[in-house]
Amino acid sequence: MATTYLRRFYSSFLAHIYDIPPRLLALLGILLLICLPLAGLSARILLILTTAFILGIFAASWDLLVGRTGQISLGHALFFGIGAYSTGLLFYHLNWPLWITIPLSLIIGSLAALLIGFPCLRVKGHYLALVTLAFPIILMGLILYFRDFTRGDFGIWNLPSYFPTLPYTQQLIAEYYLCLFLLLASAIIMYKIANSKIGIVFVSILDDELASKASGINITRYKMMAFVISGLFATLAGSVNAHLMANGHVTSLASLRITLSFMAVAWTIFGGIGTITGPIAGVLILEILDKYVLTEVIDVPSSWRLISYSAFVIILVIFWRGRGLARFVTDKLEDFEEARDIDERGPKIWKTYKKKEKK
Amino acid sequence: MHLLEVENLTKSFGGLKAVNNVNFHVDEGEIVGIIGPNGAGKTTLFHIISGFLKPDSGTMKFKGENILGLAPHKIVNKGIARTFQVVRPFRHLPVIANVMVALKSPRGNKKIEWIKTIERKAVDMLEDVGLTELMLEPAENVGHGDLKRLEMARALATEPDLLMLDEPFGGLNPLETDFLMKSIQRIHLDHPTRGIVIVEHKLYALMKIVKRVIVLHQGEKIAEGKPEEIAKNKKVIEVYMGKAM
Amino acid sequence: MIDVELLKSILLYGVMTGGLYALLAVGFSLIYGVSEVTNLAHGALFMLGTYVFFFLATPYGGIQTNLFLAFILAAISVAIVGSILYRLTIDPVVEDPLMVMVVTISLAMIMQEVLVLGFGSYRQRVPSIGEELAKMLGTEDLVVVWGVKLTYSRILAFALSIALFAVLLIYITKAKSGRAMRALSQDREVAMLMGINTGRLSMLAMAISASFAAIAGVLITSSTGGGVTYPHIWRTPLFMAFAIVVLGGLGSIKGAFVGAFIIGYIETIFSFAIDPIIASILNVPGGASLSGAVIMATMLLVLFFRPKGLFGKRVELEE
Repeated sequence: MATTYLRRFYSSFLAHIYDIPPRLLALLGILLLICLPLAGLSARILLILTTAFILGIFAASWDLLVGRTGQISLGHALFFGIGAYSTGLLFYHLNWPLWITIPLSLIIGSLAALLIGFPCLRVKGHYLALVTLAFPIILMGLILYFRDFTRGDFGIWNLPSYFPTLPYTQQLIAEYYLCLFLLLASAIIMYKIANSKIGIVFVSILDDELASKASGINITRYKMMAFVISGLFATLAGSVNAHLMANGHVTSLASLRITLSFMAVAWTIFGGIGTITGPIAGVLILEILDKYVLTEVIDVPSSWRLISYSAFVIILVIFWRGRGLARFVTDKLEDFEEARDIDERGPKIWKTYKKKEKK
Repeated sequence: MHLLEVENLTKSFGGLKAVNNVNFHVDEGEIVGIIGPNGAGKTTLFHIISGFLKPDSGTMKFKGENILGLAPHKIVNKGIARTFQVVRPFRHLPVIANVMVALKSPRGNKKIEWIKTIERKAVDMLEDVGLTELMLEPAENVGHGDLKRLEMARALATEPDLLMLDEPFGGLNPLETDFLMKSIQRIHLDHPTRGIVIVEHKLYALMKIVKRVIVLHQGEKIAEGKPEEIAKNKKVIEVYMGKAM
Repeated sequence: MIDVELLKSILLYGVMTGGLYALLAVGFSLIYGVSEVTNLAHGALFMLGTYVFFFLATPYGGIQTNLFLAFILAAISVAIVGSILYRLTIDPVVEDPLMVMVVTISLAMIMQEVLVLGFGSYRQRVPSIGEELAKMLGTEDLVVVWGVKLTYSRILAFALSIALFAVLLIYITKAKSGRAMRALSQDREVAMLMGINTGRLSMLAMAISASFAAIAGVLITSSTGGGVTYPHIWRTPLFMAFAIVVLGGLGSIKGAFVGAFIIGYIETIFSFAIDPIIASILNVPGGASLSGAVIMATMLLVLFFRPKGLFGKRVELEE
């Protein structure tokens, strides 16, 4: 019995991962990340990576919405903030533990996505972008206004930690693995959704709403779905992040800042819009670059970093649009062909995989 | 009872009557052609029937049921599918996925077999129009003639009882035109109860496959009848003066 | 009972705020109408205008010129910077709305940090043209109109805004390039078929839009915003501009005008009348933060009933 399962697992592994070079590369990357804490790196890098994992969930959720359905959201930090404040406020007023507040904040985030989805669905293109830009501002305004209830710009401090019983270094490592696990789980779920019938419908909406309707698709329902799924994962990122050591156990207005919404866009454009996994790679690389290499190794003042970052994004956009790193790597690995000029967003039907199946 | 019954349909844009008091019907198993010079209102008619435009007045009944005011996707669900005059493929998706979008999800199957079933059905659809080789190619890379066939495969995937084709022969070379004519006839034979409406300019191709022809001019129906009759109809010839047959 | 003094204050302040906002909003709407560009750097151009003015008009930069000259130079220089940036960074990606927004917001970030490097992140005092004018006329910077206390700054700012707006209206009705711009805003496809050179026209529209933003920057900061500027100030005018333009309809000059007064009045009514009431009912200290939220909420409300804004283009083939 056990051997049949093992054999099936092994052949599935071969077909789905080993024979597909980009996935193999991803697997190696994951193994690398798993082994990293054991290499005795400084606490600083672990903290940066832990946050990067969470931001990866955030970026992937944005890509799922914008890269796959084409609904431009420029205020995604809204959900990050909703996550942070839901768990923060539940703790502040009711003193509930995080294993209750975090799931509850997911529910709150989904409800918020439903509520926000309604006006957003009626509105298109440029209007949608500007409307979504407004949402975090509105929330920030409300939080500041009702500052007795929300602690305003002071923030909510001393949020419970994940592993309070462990000593410092071990807590660090435990949180690292927790976030890595959440990232992998979220990425796999979002990737699977993107490559299912739902995902295909998403891309049809992106490409041609009229043709999609003419194919029998209720695009309003699917757009709402995309909103909720994307909002859910972004809320997860925000609420989990609030309790991290790397974040100082605090819920603050920083979770709603426009820079965060902007970074989601930058990471996605760097990683490859519509690829889901590209933005994650983008976050990891750029965060290490920005927070470690350019801060600890070479000390570049923050203004210069931000300027270079922004200039880098502009150059990326002008020369490569949203093609991104993920597609570049995939093209090079798959058939060793030259990069094509398209950015596919559909389910990637791996040629090598299909070849094996035909045998 | 007619499969599709359209009565007194009128639609104006600004001061212009694009569709003016049009009446026609399609029965089960019929292939009907709609012809007329440019601007006659043919595509507008399609837009109205498929739910993309609301008429100013008139009624539309499909299988006896009133479909006026329904959203486009609902009309597709009722059983009317249409193609577009200018192809509208999903560029970022491979050809097979273009068809998969339109397929109705089978019920009751487990999720994994679901995808396999849909994939298999999609491949069947592509076989019907002869596109299986291009299955994995991103639609963006596919040539015009093939996209026209993809458009039809996608419409067929919705399992319609009424198929509306808007200039399916547009831009096709004689070889492709011939292949498409045969495909349409084959599809018709495979589903004898399905009605087909074709708007077309390439009259030599159209007249050979349709049973009945409706002629529109400046939004009005000016003639209706068998292809041979229409070809001899004085008014039609006048309206088409100068157009190649 | 109705407080007549309050009503008069609201009426006058509302109109003046509306006028100022109109200048800010119309630039944003113009560049959208002509080239379908949502310029998220519009607020940054506003900010750039204030800093150029600050640099030229105060001893900070080592020069100190006449305030009026500094004002004109600020408008011209920002117009030039705006059209150059447009040609270099926006024009290459103009077909993709998302990429345009990414590029423009990156530009805004760059301008922000460049100003931080150059001037520091703290507030700088922006001299007031109105005060200067009052000094020249030998009076105090105070005027009483209809029983309401107003400053020269505000009145001048309002007058200038309306004048510039009128000039723009004349331009788009009489001048050849102006009429071309209007044609593009109203029906893009037809206009392009008529052979209008969108590239050059876009740069021109950008120059106008940028100069308006800069002018609005100097006028608004010196007459209302407390007379200060700082490198993060670009966010507020951006949000204001887009709330107004979305509400009024992207690409519509009329919409920008009407929207500006609607928003101007809402803001005025809110800070004069409603905010104090809410503050006392809920026992919270009043705050400007909520007015931003109220404005955004108004924008959303209008969009709910009119998804393209009050005067925006309507789409035919949809439902």
